[in-house]
Amino acid sequence: MIELVVPDAAAMEALGARLAPLLRAGDLVQLDGELGAGKTTLTRGLGAALGAREPVTSPTFVLAREHPTASGTPLVHVDAYRLASAAELDDLDLDWDGAIVVVEWGAGKLADADRIEVAIERPAGGDPLAEDAPRHVRVTGVGERWAGLVSLLAP
Amino acid sequence: MAEPVGVSAPVGAPLVLGIETSCDETGVGIVRGDRLLANVIASSMDEHARYGGVVPEVAARAHLEALTPALDAALARAGIALPEVDAIAVTSGPGLAGALMVGVGAAKALAVALGKPLYAVNHLVGHVGADLLTSSDGDDGETGETGGPLELPAIALLVSGGHTSLLLVRSLTDDVELLGETVDDAAGEAFDKVARLLGLPYPGGPEIDRAAAGGDPAAIAFPRGLTAAKDQERHRYDFSFSGLKTAVARYVEAERDAGRPVPVADVAASFREAVVDVLTAKAIRACADHGIPRLLLGGGVVANARLRELATARATDAGVLLRIPPLALCTDNGAMIAAVAARLIAAGHAPSSLGVGADSTLPVTVVQA
Repeated sequence: MIELVVPDAAAMEALGARLAPLLRAGDLVQLDGELGAGKTTLTRGLGAALGAREPVTSPTFVLAREHPTASGTPLVHVDAYRLASAAELDDLDLDWDGAIVVVEWGAGKLADADRIEVAIERPAGGDPLAEDAPRHVRVTGVGERWAGLVSLLAP
Repeated sequence: MAEPVGVSAPVGAPLVLGIETSCDETGVGIVRGDRLLANVIASSMDEHARYGGVVPEVAARAHLEALTPALDAALARAGIALPEVDAIAVTSGPGLAGALMVGVGAAKALAVALGKPLYAVNHLVGHVGADLLTSSDGDDGETGETGGPLELPAIALLVSGGHTSLLLVRSLTDDVELLGETVDDAAGEAFDKVARLLGLPYPGGPEIDRAAAGGDPAAIAFPRGLTAAKDQERHRYDFSFSGLKTAVARYVEAERDAGRPVPVADVAASFREAVVDVLTAKAIRACADHGIPRLLLGGGVVANARLRELATARATDAGVLLRIPPLALCTDNGAMIAAVAARLIAAGHAPSSLGVGADSTLPVTVVQA
């Protein structure tokens, strides 16, 4: 596991861009964190680094959105908040094998698939109306595919 | 004697049937040119409430069930038989892929069975086309008399659960420019998420409205996204509601952590004010920048009374003519799609190919697919 402090939105996008070159078709990224943590911001950076068709906006309303990318492997951006279970996520009929799939609010809904887990914490306190606060981020590799994630992400 | 150029006799105006299934409303409308004959809408909103929002597969199934009854009801209301229509129009995008496919499939089947031309229309341009329909069929008791179509060019602000777009419309049939759109959450989605933060049910718009009654819109100075000077070059007409949502979340958490009751009415009123402030300010600025004193509103969020009120006040101050179609034409409907198709036909556009498919991200610049 790697722990990071991400000072602002630009740095959150940059973190997404760092993950991009590690990902290929069939890979899964799980993003967790409260409303406003920066899940879509990270995905925006990841999408830009993949050359995904813009704009990468919140998938909440449509549940899942597919962005064609420069490499031909699409980026599928999912919001699982409104789904109750892995079965409902499965009902979306996503191309798990042919795409890079990013699932927001995925905790507990992704069975035991190999994946990169990114947990974003937005610390409480401070003036809520002042400049946004830094985020605490934990990146974990789950499964054989990501056994070497820590060294891959080393600067 | 030659007929005057550019004047079309109403009798010759095309009779068009329009189908709209891009989200959770099944709409079938019938128009003759710019005249509204029927506007039937069946919503599957109640079925989505359990999920806290629209679920594409649920919507698609609901469209399948609602489409034939809606078609029959529209024909009965217009007092016509199906073979009388001159063309079939359908929303082919943008929207939810599975939901769009139901309407596109139905429209193709009707076009083939009846031997009529098919027109695949852009959903967002449809919202602009809603303004053309100057008389309502009385679905909701509103007359919708607006004194003829809005003169072009015009600025259009379209705000719904899935879209937040600012358009410059020079021609409804072949010149629509996207000035800006949301870079993160759509406005309607921001309402849904803040409702969630405040413990209110889906859909958030009407719930926030109710909660805001009696609240002070100036109580909390929530941020206005992409209004800073540094954003005016790249994002002058774009919208961002994600930072606002985060600020509301942090504010609510801070109150709870301090052991204070969350002032729900003030939070709701201040949040709503921040949204409608940015929407109307950017729309009026687009009018001023382009020297176009005409603004059209469309989309489901137009149901928000505070949005209409602030838009009216600011348009009056800026000398901008503001047009808001009746609500039954602001929310998703088939009549607006038929109206755009009638204009495409009048402008001599060829029908769409029967090979046309649903395109969930159809750009607004493509009026006809």
